[in-house]
Amino acid sequence: MADYQIHRCERQLEGGIYPETHKAPSTTDSCVFVDDPKRLVFPIHFSGGGPGEALVAVGATVFQGTPIIKCQSGITHVASRSGKVIEITDHAITHPSATKSASIIIEPNGLKDQDYLDPLVWPFDADTLRNRAIEVGILGLGGAGFPSFKKWSDGTQTLIINGAECEPYLAADDTLMRIDTHSMIRGACMLSQSLDIKTIIIGIEDNKPEALEAIESALKEFRSDCFFDVVLLDTKYPSGSERHLIWLTLGIEVPTGSRAVESGIIVHNPGTLAALSRAIDGKPITDRIVTLTGEALSTPQNVIVPIGTPISHLIEAADTTPESLASITVGGPMMGYPVTDFTAGITKTTNCLLAREVEMPPESPCIRCGACATACPVRLQPQQMIFALKGGSLDRAILEGLTDCIECAACNAVCPSHIPLAEWFRLGRFEARDKVNDQRLAAEARERFEARNLRLERIALEKEAKRAARQAKTADALEKARKARKESA
Amino acid sequence: MIKRPGYPPADTQIVMRTVLFALVPGFFAMTLFFGVGVLFNLATAIPAALAAEAACLGLRQRPILPRLNDLSAVLTGALIALSLPQAAPWWLIILASTSSIVLGKHLYGGLGQNPVNPAMLGYALMLISAPVTMTTLWIDPLATPDLSTAWLAYLGQSNDAVTGATMLDLYRTEFRVLTAAEASQNPLFTQAQLGLIYGYEWVALAYLVGGLWLIYQRVITWHTPVGLLVTLAVVSAFFSFDPDTATPVRIHLIAGAAIFAAFFILTDPVSGATSPKGRLWFAIGVGILTYLIRTYGLYPDAIAFAVLLMNFAVPMIDHYTRPRIMGRSSSIRGSGGQS
Repeated sequence: MADYQIHRCERQLEGGIYPETHKAPSTTDSCVFVDDPKRLVFPIHFSGGGPGEALVAVGATVFQGTPIIKCQSGITHVASRSGKVIEITDHAITHPSATKSASIIIEPNGLKDQDYLDPLVWPFDADTLRNRAIEVGILGLGGAGFPSFKKWSDGTQTLIINGAECEPYLAADDTLMRIDTHSMIRGACMLSQSLDIKTIIIGIEDNKPEALEAIESALKEFRSDCFFDVVLLDTKYPSGSERHLIWLTLGIEVPTGSRAVESGIIVHNPGTLAALSRAIDGKPITDRIVTLTGEALSTPQNVIVPIGTPISHLIEAADTTPESLASITVGGPMMGYPVTDFTAGITKTTNCLLAREVEMPPESPCIRCGACATACPVRLQPQQMIFALKGGSLDRAILEGLTDCIECAACNAVCPSHIPLAEWFRLGRFEARDKVNDQRLAAEARERFEARNLRLERIALEKEAKRAARQAKTADALEKARKARKESA
Repeated sequence: MIKRPGYPPADTQIVMRTVLFALVPGFFAMTLFFGVGVLFNLATAIPAALAAEAACLGLRQRPILPRLNDLSAVLTGALIALSLPQAAPWWLIILASTSSIVLGKHLYGGLGQNPVNPAMLGYALMLISAPVTMTTLWIDPLATPDLSTAWLAYLGQSNDAVTGATMLDLYRTEFRVLTAAEASQNPLFTQAQLGLIYGYEWVALAYLVGGLWLIYQRVITWHTPVGLLVTLAVVSAFFSFDPDTATPVRIHLIAGAAIFAAFFILTDPVSGATSPKGRLWFAIGVGILTYLIRTYGLYPDAIAFAVLLMNFAVPMIDHYTRPRIMGRSSSIRGSGGQS
């Protein structure tokens, strides 16, 4: 039995909202497998882990687990089913930009050919684990897709498992914590032992009693040197935001502009740790749990599907015709983004497909009531930021704290004027990043230019000095010669 | 889809409607003690405000109906109607109401853009343009006029028997020469009911009830009313060491517009400071200015001027009262500070 305790969180999330959770439709039945689709789509640059390059050519035969894309960060993506590469072409992708991008299309052949790695044998060090995570392509499966190995720095004291899943409708993590509890805990332990972490915190919202039960019974059976601290959180959005979860469980505010790792904390999604556990056994990420939900779907459910499965295939799996939907939200209702081309394939970070029709009341002018500021979990004043952004002053918005916005959209939900605040902030933050980038580039260019000027100046001075020295030498020699001549004369 | 504990109503129109409902007790008390002139005020100011709003929206080529529907013009009209003297003539009411909307609101871009409180702008404009009308046509609650007297006053023929200065004004002028004991012999005190000064204190109580309900409905926060009333009480108490010359704290709080303004005027979110801390400072500023102008200024009541002056200070207050953003070591202050 692992040493553990379960207790309610003693801190209260400041701000935030209590949305209706809508989790029941997809969690009443257990998780199901879906028949393999006819084709799988793997975007080369947008699978997570940064831009990449294809490792296979058209016509190649791949097995389940064969590396097909290598990203700049080193992350490798594998084929999720055995089959044949039939095309490498521009294809619709699951991404907020809704553009097309180079993708590898694989036609599965229905065979069970596998191309797995050798299992790692304990004890192994952190570097071995990092390499393994790179080889099997482990990313943050909660949605952000940050390469996990980059978080694993030595000197980390705490690992937090983010089982909050505070977005309404989503139940993918909930499902994983129920059916794959052992893998999650084993992954957490392996990671903790290789990084010498003593405490593992599991943050979980109190609307997931089944998952909590599963975790407790797993902890009772599990043997580990780590101490497990299971923290039960109020069901309040956005308690699952990384920074807020850290504050709720540890009382630490991660300083603006720095990552949690710098405060000695690693936060991982349950799915990421379960994937790590399998990676240690040699199995790369080929499948993930996706929540199919929303009022427009006939059969809401949680499914286990191969990475790359087209969205249309999943809509059909929920007994709905794709043509009946105008668009589908990828992610939750708060932070998700719409996708209209259903041929796009799901990626490692696709946790939810949400189909519903929402009618937004017409927007009216901001009356500065401040409801958004009350709702903001990072204590921003959205009413001031929107005033600046609508007035075209990005600088002013940045001064008001635009870059600290976590885009959780709690402000949207409470605005009595129905202003799409979060959309404005998303756009503003995008521009702000560009601007900061431009400023950095300009500063670098200026530095280079100034350095070059200095160098040229120095060279000129040196030249001048050499010339002067030479002249002096010549003059000296002449003088000597003149003197010698005088003396001889 | 959102359950809303701790948040104001879900729509601008509902916010405005809630404020209008909260005015009802005060309106009834006013009508009861000061006569039907209050009704005439409302029946004139609200249509005038709506007409001005519609005309401005039309001129600015904006959609008219959705904006009339949000009830903000109705609210401005109601607030100005309840602020004006109860025996005010029709032209004064129309001028006050339309200038509130046109000069106070649409000149700056309509709802959400006004830098100053529209109702107080209209009120102050009238106070400057028609000082005699604005200071002498208040109804004496001990002589509540009947319908015909009120109607004549509305048409511009005021009756000296029922009108006069407000209690605050009495204290500034007549009671100044009396001792505190002599002043308390005034019928307003001797005819007090349940210990409450006749008329004035009942009206103040009614506004207080409406205001507390607004806090309960989360339309306003406690910061503004508490800031104003506590400041006014503390400052006037500090300077009332000579009870024979100073206006008592009680009169400062209930005889003028203090309670009405604390809950319904200063709480205008558009022209007020925006953070909770800012709202507190804004209200404290109004409280101090109100006392100063009431005591040393030319006008008997000073809320309107105090509010307008503090409205101009709002950008500065907002600069210095930003909450500390999570993850930052200190709050961003001023326009240049970076943490």
